[in-house]
Amino acid sequence: MATSVTAVGGGVQSSTSLRDREDILAAEWPIYAVVFASASIVIGLVWDISWHRTIGRDTFWSPPHLLQQAGAIIAGLSCGYLALTTTFAGDAEARAKSVRFWRFFHAPLGAWVCVWGTIMMITSAPFDNWWHNAYGLDVEIISPPHIVLASGMIGVELGAMLMALGAQNRARSEKARRRLGTIFAFAAGTIIVMVAIMITEDASFPNDMHSSSFYKATGLIIPVFLVAFARASRLSWPATRIAIVYMLISLVSIWVLQLVPARPMLAPIYNAVTHMVPLPFPILLFAPAMALDVLMRRFGENRDWMLAITMGVAFVAVMLAVHWFWAEFMLTPYARNFFFAADQWDYTNRLGPWQYEFWNLDRDSAGKFSPLGLAQGLAVATAMAAASSRLGLWWGKGMSKVQR
Amino acid sequence: MIRSFGRTLGVALLYLVGAAHVGSPDTWFEGNAGPYRVTVQVVPAGVVPGVAEVFVRVTGEAATGVSVHANKFDATGGAPPPEPATAVAGDPGLYAGKLWIMSGGSNSVTVTVKGAKGTGTAVVPVVVVAYARLGLDKPMAAGLAAMGIFLFVGLVTIMGAAVREGVLAPGEVPGSERQRKSRFAMAITSVVLVALLSGGWRWWNAEETAYVNGMFKPLSASASIREEAAGRVLSLSIVDSAWVHRNDTAWLRQRGSSSWTPLVEDHGKLVHMFAIREDMGAFAHLHPSSSDSVTFPSALPPLPSGKYRVFADIVHESGFTQTLVTGVDVPAAVQSTRLPTATGNGDDAWFAGPVVKGASTFAIDSATMIEWTGVGAKLVAGRPAPLTFEIRNTDGSAATLEPYMGMPGHAVVARKDGAVFVHLHPAGTISMASQMAFVMREPGDTVRGRLGKRISGMEMKGRADAAVVSNTLSFPYAFPKPGEYRVWVQVKRRGQVLTGAFDATVSEVPAEGR
Repeated sequence: MATSVTAVGGGVQSSTSLRDREDILAAEWPIYAVVFASASIVIGLVWDISWHRTIGRDTFWSPPHLLQQAGAIIAGLSCGYLALTTTFAGDAEARAKSVRFWRFFHAPLGAWVCVWGTIMMITSAPFDNWWHNAYGLDVEIISPPHIVLASGMIGVELGAMLMALGAQNRARSEKARRRLGTIFAFAAGTIIVMVAIMITEDASFPNDMHSSSFYKATGLIIPVFLVAFARASRLSWPATRIAIVYMLISLVSIWVLQLVPARPMLAPIYNAVTHMVPLPFPILLFAPAMALDVLMRRFGENRDWMLAITMGVAFVAVMLAVHWFWAEFMLTPYARNFFFAADQWDYTNRLGPWQYEFWNLDRDSAGKFSPLGLAQGLAVATAMAAASSRLGLWWGKGMSKVQR
Repeated sequence: MIRSFGRTLGVALLYLVGAAHVGSPDTWFEGNAGPYRVTVQVVPAGVVPGVAEVFVRVTGEAATGVSVHANKFDATGGAPPPEPATAVAGDPGLYAGKLWIMSGGSNSVTVTVKGAKGTGTAVVPVVVVAYARLGLDKPMAAGLAAMGIFLFVGLVTIMGAAVREGVLAPGEVPGSERQRKSRFAMAITSVVLVALLSGGWRWWNAEETAYVNGMFKPLSASASIREEAAGRVLSLSIVDSAWVHRNDTAWLRQRGSSSWTPLVEDHGKLVHMFAIREDMGAFAHLHPSSSDSVTFPSALPPLPSGKYRVFADIVHESGFTQTLVTGVDVPAAVQSTRLPTATGNGDDAWFAGPVVKGASTFAIDSATMIEWTGVGAKLVAGRPAPLTFEIRNTDGSAATLEPYMGMPGHAVVARKDGAVFVHLHPAGTISMASQMAFVMREPGDTVRGRLGKRISGMEMKGRADAAVVSNTLSFPYAFPKPGEYRVWVQVKRRGQVLTGAFDATVSEVPAEGR
């Protein structure tokens, strides 16, 4: 592997700027297309959830659905085109940067993952439609057809990320590597948005944050992605940057959605909302992400088991330290404003004191809050976060080698 | 023509029960929306939440626009904006709209008609429950399976390619070690995917089971006959735990279920009970009294012996209506059975006797005959049935009718196998008490039973004021499915309830006419 890079790199080493341009050109439109597609899908999803919390009534052709469908089509068509041109009209260099599918078709690895994600998303449409006819128009996030759809979306987003990653790992100049690294971090951030949405029902509202189930859900699901992406990244503070991308996408969506006047279109209405109801304020993921970055730097690449255990402890400890008091603040009147967007509920919610209470608290048999129960839950969350981190380190190590 | 479409998306729907009524899920209403006469058909989705179809026929005064909106009896945030219903091309006066109904239970559909005479509204109570089961038809299942296999193989291939070549520098050829690792990765991916798919399959089955368990079942009831000094008594009991424990908050909380609201009187009766012999040869429409909140005894008229299906219509204060279904064996009378006077009820009526198939007239007694004027038309499932009857004296002159429980007449439609049962009025399938529950509800109705009292009072007044102006009765309805039916028509003359019976054969919708 090293030989071939040196051979190719050695030929053009006389001109750094030319090399930069070549690297960047090589990354050009398909990467931008799929990263754009990935962003469309995730923004469409955030918008769609807000649509269901506010307006209720939609069709297959509602604007958030169109945005997601556009994302799928852009990703599928551009990667399909890339596969066809590489297979049938590609030069030796293009083929050299691709992987083979069924021994015949050639395309970069990320493109295949994008195509797979698009087909998965398309497959979910008739399945979801049937599901609605069979069991009712679901208003839940987690249902089998939605998992098929979400897997497709994550496929497209992972494919986009892998395309940026392959180009980053091939890049010969520092400038190109940084630029592709930034694209990679953005694509990774969109996946974290997606993953956070998948656990919205357990881990999103401040009311959840005094319960061990919040730390279990986040500890199980987030480290595997965040750690893997951070390890594959070549930037400094990679997990922190990716977490900030997640927080920025979430925050911008919250602030923009609140500006749009809207009213429920379906009965019964128990909460007469007047503007788009956004998702809750994002999890403060930058804090545990910083801890993960520090640990990854200290441990290096050769003590992954120890690193994973430390990461598990650090992730849950920092999450708890940050969110315990944050949640208390978010339930006060000071958070009920445009910036923090707290206390915003679906049109189907019957308002009541539960809005300002903590939910799913760990309780003893008498029904009282149990610090011991919480501690036990947090221990489980830590084990989950350690296992999730270990898986992430392993996956990230594999991804950091991707060159095609 | 009012049609039922959208039910056949290339899928097999299996109807189990409607909510109110049995096997007859559509709601029909005929009445006034201000100055306009409207006939409304609500075709529910059969699942909750679901999209119901609403058809509105405006007769008499022409309308310039029709809109519909749904609401729940306990909504606190107002109503959503009405959905416009669009004029159906080629059928003047017919409007069609779609309504999303998000919440099960007692909903109302409000129809608003605009025209030269101003704006009028009509409230149609609609009971929304999950009653339909949708099978996965073969082309759909095959298509999904094919896509599933393709995606499975695709992902395994991608994982193999990723390990084999993805990590190699451009141009480098994978060696045997890489090939081996690739095959291993493909095997692991296959195992993981099979595990995920089997988990997904189990999840789907669990969702299916939960859905089936959550499908609407009327409260369970039983019926029995006992001999009393005054005569035989048919006693209906609501034996369902959900009813018996309806005020037991601990019991309800444990099961996460909500409490049934109390019963309210419909046409002045808490229960309208129908006993229909399984061969359709005998029929009774009875009104039990209540000895307590679960037992409803009624004097048993002199019905011939045999196995009877028992249907009991009840209305809750929420506006929810349901038909309880049970059966009873009526033994041969040991002595000449007379109608007991103690629990006797002047509005009870029964009929036993032969019905001439295809006959359009039925002689009730020596003075009165009923003619089914629409009998010549072919009856097709899902299409409006011409259930129009004229009541005449034997000399052919129009008979003078008295209101029967506030109505010009009642009709009961039952399919011979018992799969369809519906109790109709000229106002349709709806219960008047249920409609009143929506119209008369006040924000202060927080005490159970308060609304029910007002409904009873208003109904009593309505019955006292009722007068029958015509000798023609028309019931808006469409037979829900093909088969052999019997229709009993009941009117009141000279203080006596008279029952006529007709047979009807309903055929399948022709394929091109859907």
